[in-house]
Amino acid sequence: MELLILIIPLLWMFLFWGSTRKWLLHMINSIGTLLLLILALVITCKVNASGHIGYPFLNHFFYLDALSVIVLDIIAIVSFMVSVFAIGYLNRELAHQVINLRQIQLFYSLMYAFIFTMVLVVSTQNLGLMWIAIEATTLASAFLVGFYNQREAIEAAWKYVIICSVGIALALFGIVFLYISAVNIFEGSKSNLNWLFLLQNAKLLNSSIVKIAFIFIMVGFGTKVGLVPMHTWLPDAHSQAPAPISALLSGVLLNSALYGLIRVLAIVNKNLGSNLYTGRLLVTAGLLSIATAAVFILTQKDYKRMLAYSSIEHMGIITFGLGLATPIALFAALFHMINHAFTKSLLFLASGNVYLKYKTREIAGVSGLLKTLPITGTVFLLGLFAIAGMPPFSVFSSELNLIIAAFSANQIAGAILFILLIASVCAGIAVVAMKMFFGENRSPGMKPGEENRLGLSVLIILLLLITVSGMLIPDQLKQLLESASGIIKGVA
Amino acid sequence: MENYLQFLSIAILLSGFILVANKRVDSYIKTFRLQSVLLALVAGLIGVGNIAREGNWEIMIVCLITLAIKVYYIPHLLKKTVQKVQYKVEKDFFLNIPISVLICCALVIIIYFVVPHIDDLRNANLQVYLANAMALVLIGLFFMISRKKAIGQIIGFLVIENGLFTAAILSTEGMPMIVELGIFFDLLTAVLIMGILVFRINENFESIDLDKLRNLRG
Repeated sequence: MELLILIIPLLWMFLFWGSTRKWLLHMINSIGTLLLLILALVITCKVNASGHIGYPFLNHFFYLDALSVIVLDIIAIVSFMVSVFAIGYLNRELAHQVINLRQIQLFYSLMYAFIFTMVLVVSTQNLGLMWIAIEATTLASAFLVGFYNQREAIEAAWKYVIICSVGIALALFGIVFLYISAVNIFEGSKSNLNWLFLLQNAKLLNSSIVKIAFIFIMVGFGTKVGLVPMHTWLPDAHSQAPAPISALLSGVLLNSALYGLIRVLAIVNKNLGSNLYTGRLLVTAGLLSIATAAVFILTQKDYKRMLAYSSIEHMGIITFGLGLATPIALFAALFHMINHAFTKSLLFLASGNVYLKYKTREIAGVSGLLKTLPITGTVFLLGLFAIAGMPPFSVFSSELNLIIAAFSANQIAGAILFILLIASVCAGIAVVAMKMFFGENRSPGMKPGEENRLGLSVLIILLLLITVSGMLIPDQLKQLLESASGIIKGVA
Repeated sequence: MENYLQFLSIAILLSGFILVANKRVDSYIKTFRLQSVLLALVAGLIGVGNIAREGNWEIMIVCLITLAIKVYYIPHLLKKTVQKVQYKVEKDFFLNIPISVLICCALVIIIYFVVPHIDDLRNANLQVYLANAMALVLIGLFFMISRKKAIGQIIGFLVIENGLFTAAILSTEGMPMIVELGIFFDLLTAVLIMGILVFRINENFESIDLDKLRNLRG
């Protein structure tokens, strides 16, 4: 039954080509992600009750545990929100004659291909297949990034495909190394690429090869995560893609890639017996990413690009937490992953509404947002507060946990640097973005009023979600996060 | 047999040097085809050995797929792409060729210096195979950054992929079959997508010179 989470998006990829009626396309689209959401919730309950789900066929490739369920839930929830939002977004673009019906078919079909590849990343334990799926996410989303087919969009798509493919190729080299170290010891075993098998026998693997493997995999998957200095594709792709796709890229794709890194991290930490080696690398990469984002946010003239740099910052924060690797830090990092996914998809979707109204991505071209788009504007503003780390939103609570974890792990210098950097990012966002919201609307002939009414409900639900989860964590989620951080620690 | 494999592994590395010394896009494609033939030979040798020893056909299948995709289909596709974008012969590199070749030599020397420091790789053959493959990956990366045309970058990516493939097949006798198939599938889709993007770049920028892709910065 659980296999349906792979079958549904795979099937849905083809359904859109059977019809050219607009309402039918939208209907198929929303039903698909709704089914996915329901399935993901059922699986979550099952995993919470029984630990993990796996089947023996095809060399145990299908495997779900608490860690994968967290990312799976993010994928399912964000995809559902995005697909509902996309209905209004695409309708408006159709009415503006920016796109035609065939492009809507292509959009939905590729979107489901994209979702399928991401679900495959989290539902397999075979590291080779996981790599294939992560590479396939790039390929499935390349034309979505270049969807508008203008100069900038094509340039972004080209950079995206080339940089990510090369980066990911290096990760494959890392996986080959890991495989060599396993073959050295268990010659002829069929499960040499299975994560569970590697974790259980982690102590036996050759440490020097595993270390090299980790470097390659960190650079490779780090490219896809957007860690500095491999991040250069990210601002381009996120700013040029249509808003629903930006939300998927930032909220879900980055987490799926990070998930691959976390799986390998668990093996490497267990093999080396401590997190000293990986910790140094990850903490440095994390702090470097936050610092770079803090500088670049200040120079942004494009609001979607600013949000993209903020994604780099938050990936840095999560990586920092993973590097500390104490139970509290892991808990906070995983919690931050969830919070960032919801908050950032909220922001990108809101930015989509702004783009539909103002037809520009320039910050200077937008003013009086609160008057022109009262609901989107308010949600956008609150979302920016949330992403900058203001209470009472959930990003604040996970960042606070992470700071506490850093101090209690005796990383005083790291913790202080971390606080300074996220404070400067917060200030940067305020300086750059606040001028969009106030004042009078300077664009001639624009009447106040929302463009995408269906999308508003999505924005409000997401806003509620990040506000509530900032103040209380449900017991189920807490249990899930705790068992996931246990898995990373190698207790599983 | 080890001797032949070592010879082939070095020949594949040398084909990387030939690539760097190439001046024209047509010859990039020819060199890539030559490299893929060598790769298929490696797979074929190991595959025949496996069939004789244990009746295991997996690597032979990998060899056949390599022949079909990397030796025939991808070069064919790239050639058609080049013809359609009406590529004019013009200078396509930032550094002149002797300097490029020298840099590649330096890369090989560095790799040969680094690889013996991995303690657990005691087997001398394995060291040579891995060093050659890693050097080829670095040469591929260097090739990508030193060429200006979109096709050059695609070839660079393919060379990196070939390096990985050599590493996997020589040091472990190949990854599990399903993984190999998936990698081939990804590679093929990647090249198709890059090919389509080259057309779009050509339409939008009136050339496939990547120097013109400068709208997005900072």
